Amino acid sequence: MKLLKPSWVNHNGKPIFSVDIHPDGTKFATGGQGEDSGKVVIWNMAPVLREEDERNENIPKLLCQMDNHLACVNCVRWSNNGLYLASGGDDKLVMVWKRAAFIGPSTVFGSSSKLANVEQWRCVMILRNHTGDVMDVAWSPHDVWLASCSVDNTIVIWNARKFPEIVMTLKGHTGLVKGLTWDPVGKYIASQADDRSLKVWRTMDWQLETNITKPFSECGGTTHVLRLSWSPDGQYLVSAHAMNNSGPTAQIIERDGWKTNMDFVGHRKAVTVVKFNPKIFKKKQKNGSTPKPSCPYCCCAVGSKDRSLSVWLTSLKRPLVVIHDLFDKSIMDITWTLNGLGLLVCSMDGTVAFLDFSQDELGDPLNEEEKNAIHQNIYGKSLAITMESQLSSTIIENPEMLKYQQERQGNQNPNEAQGIGPENQTPKLTNVLNGESLEDIRKNLLKKQVETRTADGRRRITPLCIAQLDTADFLPALFNSVPILPGSSASTQLTPQISSDSSTANSLGLRPSHDPTTTSPNKTAEDNKDSGTAAVNSIGMKSNLLLTSASKIEPMKALDSRFTERSKAMPGVTSVPLTIGITPLDRVKDSSSVKEPKGKDETSSDSEDKIMVKSIAKRKGEMEGAEVVEKRKKGRPRKDAKTMPFPQTPVEPSRLTTPIAVLKLPTPSIQKSFSTQVSTDGVTYLEVENEVSVVSGSRLSQLKWSREGREWDVLLPSRIIIAAGSSNVVAVACEDRTLSVFTACGRRLIPSIILPVPMSALHCSGHFVMALTASAMLSVWDVQKQTALVKNESLNPILSGTDATVSQSFLTQQGVAVVSLSNGKTYCFNSSLETWNLIADKQDSLVQCTDFRNCVSAQDALGSMGPLALTQGRNLSAGRLASRLSSTPHHLQQGMTLAFLEKQLSSALILLSASEYRHWLLIYARFLVNEVEVNERSICQRGNLTGDLTTEKLSRPESFTISTCRQI
Amino acid sequence: MAKVQVLNVAVLDNPSPFRNPFQFEITFECMEDLPEDLEWKIIYVGSAESEEYDQVLDSVLVGPVPAGRHMFVFQADAPNTGLIPESDAVGVTVVLITCTYRGQEFIRIGYYVNNEYTDPELRENPPVKPDYTQLQRNILASNPRVTRFHINWEATMEKMEDSENVDPAPNAMLPPTSMPGKAPPLGLMPDNSMDCL
Repeated sequence: MKLLKPSWVNHNGKPIFSVDIHPDGTKFATGGQGEDSGKVVIWNMAPVLREEDERNENIPKLLCQMDNHLACVNCVRWSNNGLYLASGGDDKLVMVWKRAAFIGPSTVFGSSSKLANVEQWRCVMILRNHTGDVMDVAWSPHDVWLASCSVDNTIVIWNARKFPEIVMTLKGHTGLVKGLTWDPVGKYIASQADDRSLKVWRTMDWQLETNITKPFSECGGTTHVLRLSWSPDGQYLVSAHAMNNSGPTAQIIERDGWKTNMDFVGHRKAVTVVKFNPKIFKKKQKNGSTPKPSCPYCCCAVGSKDRSLSVWLTSLKRPLVVIHDLFDKSIMDITWTLNGLGLLVCSMDGTVAFLDFSQDELGDPLNEEEKNAIHQNIYGKSLAITMESQLSSTIIENPEMLKYQQERQGNQNPNEAQGIGPENQTPKLTNVLNGESLEDIRKNLLKKQVETRTADGRRRITPLCIAQLDTADFLPALFNSVPILPGSSASTQLTPQISSDSSTANSLGLRPSHDPTTTSPNKTAEDNKDSGTAAVNSIGMKSNLLLTSASKIEPMKALDSRFTERSKAMPGVTSVPLTIGITPLDRVKDSSSVKEPKGKDETSSDSEDKIMVKSIAKRKGEMEGAEVVEKRKKGRPRKDAKTMPFPQTPVEPSRLTTPIAVLKLPTPSIQKSFSTQVSTDGVTYLEVENEVSVVSGSRLSQLKWSREGREWDVLLPSRIIIAAGSSNVVAVACEDRTLSVFTACGRRLIPSIILPVPMSALHCSGHFVMALTASAMLSVWDVQKQTALVKNESLNPILSGTDATVSQSFLTQQGVAVVSLSNGKTYCFNSSLETWNLIADKQDSLVQCTDFRNCVSAQDALGSMGPLALTQGRNLSAGRLASRLSSTPHHLQQGMTLAFLEKQLSSALILLSASEYRHWLLIYARFLVNEVEVNERSICQRGNLTGDLTTEKLSRPESFTISTCRQI
Repeated sequence: MAKVQVLNVAVLDNPSPFRNPFQFEITFECMEDLPEDLEWKIIYVGSAESEEYDQVLDSVLVGPVPAGRHMFVFQADAPNTGLIPESDAVGVTVVLITCTYRGQEFIRIGYYVNNEYTDPELRENPPVKPDYTQLQRNILASNPRVTRFHINWEATMEKMEDSENVDPAPNAMLPPTSMPGKAPPLGLMPDNSMDCL
């Protein structure tokens, strides 16, 4: 055994709380305290392993450091695939890091270290849920889940394929949870806490499997961490701090029956960390001796508060080696290299040590196949996929796995190409700037950069984009490339999948889970309030220190303080007033209590979604049409339109012979009773009850209208399918293909209109009634004037050639029919031209490339309300891609913006939406004035139009626009 | 965690005559597309004793800011000498670059500025009334002091959860008197050296 203490691995003397070697063995991460924040550092492994590399100055030692954690980092863990690094700290956050391959080296600006980051690791996800310090994080086998535990007494299981989704919050510990370990088989997760217990949870249903307390009854909460570990064969779980006859031990817990008969004894103080070697070993064959089959064994390293490290083989009764006085302070974390022969240990004293074993000492590591054979022996054939090669031979039992396999094959090559090593990847700065070097750009930056004035006269600089970040790279796509474990579909919380998975589950000998969705939302909603007072204190103290140093009035100190003080007192600064420093303790408490309701909101909305999913699943088939209508009323696009089968129940078979029904729109099915809110105000309701009574064989239905206590009802001879109303009229479509129209007072306006086919959607607005039939024919009537605005107009022009369906339809106050399709396009029917006009397209590149934000003044920054905004979405994503064009000529973007604004104007015009027209006209005018040469005439011409259609009639449109121009 | 990280600030045109505009070339990285602009300010500290003499030299909006690495040059006119106390015109003061998002300051970069006469004669016997035409401004570009603040980056109404004031190296400040010619006191920044004056 060789022992090395690489002195260059340090956090400037600050404690190192965690260390983890990358699965490929080329680098390792440390986590701990930084200067003023938490610190994660990624180091090169080569200089640790080889002395010549350590001396070679061309080989970097430090690869990257990240100061993003606001407080001490307690744990760093690489994902099993090596693509991600998770870190958890006292700032209650878990951060997930990923390497940004194409950004060049950089330093942490302003930090004392002038060392460049050789590799760039970016935080791609921040997981917020814990209300106290995060003590340990652990990736599940195959990176399906990420678990984190905290002093808030909980363990959170994150869906690693869909961050930041929470699969489950495990509650049950009554003390600070300080360690986590996954069962290598994937069936359990174990946690150890200050509450003198070690709990094993099932991953099938996230319920408690066993609670072990006996070995811990004498333990006091004296250790910073309790990092327990599971043996690679899954047979043993070894705890951190346990007591046996008032001596500190590491308790061995057998998987079989959770027996606690053995322990590792010998440390003089509490055991802080246990880490199993990832390899299983067998006895080294001596030359000449007869090959005698020996039992495979595991190897385990134990670190303690007594500053010593012991390494055990499960085949020996005594430790293989014990190293005393390796550190000045407690051992905090241990990590093995993947080959099982190297070991890194870190300590609170801020140093790390490396142990290098030979195969003679540890034995022959089993290769993956042998290890797998052991797993299969113990757990049976249908065990989780443990190897890539095995995956191909696994019988595909569900479509999810098939999909995964296909994905995996597709992804394999890029993954391999991405192999991470210190030398095979020299990240390059991808310049978007056609062939110009960064130096050239910098020389002329001041002259070249685009500077404009905003509406209120302020300078606005468009920064030059010198490198793009692929923000999308941490979206599910990449997290998807992990195997599916049996039962992992529980993480997606789709109940039906669990049941379809139960075949796998059963063969595993696991109990099929009961419905997790019923328990999860409620449980996660609760939160522990006594969240880490220790953290509060420490933060409080810290800010106190800062305060005292800042409040001195000595001249030199006064200067210093200027660096740290906020600019709140400075003229012209509009920063949010802070309570900093007055009552730091209270402030921190406040902030944590502010945080809490947010968490609750999230979980509650989450549960709502889940309920939604469930109800849809349940209602599928019989009631799905009604669901559609309800959604439409809320103005939400229907996503499942494409997959929905056309419901056939509500209509007689004769409908099927209708010759024109080439295009079919879904019709709502009949419900026993339903009610809708009349859209324009919040107090008018329509209630429908079908089959209230049966009179001489015909079934009567009742339509009831109510507004603030006033109500009327009317009986209809057929069952009602859809009802809609406005402040002026109420329309109902019945099963017998009739359409009845009533006034708001309940008087029948016209005798029943007979429709050729059943109704798909019905809308009322003002005096207008819009009917969209199942054969995709549109009609709009003005029932007051008794005229037809749109006569049986087919949706064929907009629907043909696409596989899109109608996702939303509505009628504006002016009687313009608007139809949105599932492909993101929205059309309205112009009755004077008798044409369909495209008014919104979510894929329109013009929309995405415009940049007119500096023309939006504060008062209309909130946007305009109206049909156009409704179709385009309130958060018009305009300008999202504007930046991407920073390399393209400014005038091109200008042209695009102009074209987009023109489009908006004409769309608002055709929708007869005066307020929106005004809104866009103002922006248009400002844009022209700001960016293009003023073309007052064109604005004024438009001003005339405004005058024509505004309801709040502008007496002299000319003066309006001219004054607008002056305003700018 | 901050969505915007300042990667570098290069001080251009330094040292320069006092009346020259300030020029900072700022490189920053943004984790995700920002829906709103960043606001940058240059603040000149006229006198160490009082904020009263602080001058906001200029403020500028920077946007749109998509995810990625960006750079721009922030140029602002020299401070109004009429607002600087005569006793503080010569010597060491501070210039601050701040950046706010949604009205919340998340980073403050401070530089020591040394204003000195270039003429040795004037240096020996400085005029009572400062002669700004003869003053040279020297920004200690090698030693930026960066203070980061935790702000709420989201649009929610939620208040800032943690406005802790963090200074990277609170003890490493150089007493300005010890600057010329002397090695900096070795606090936490052993590899920083004063390479100016």
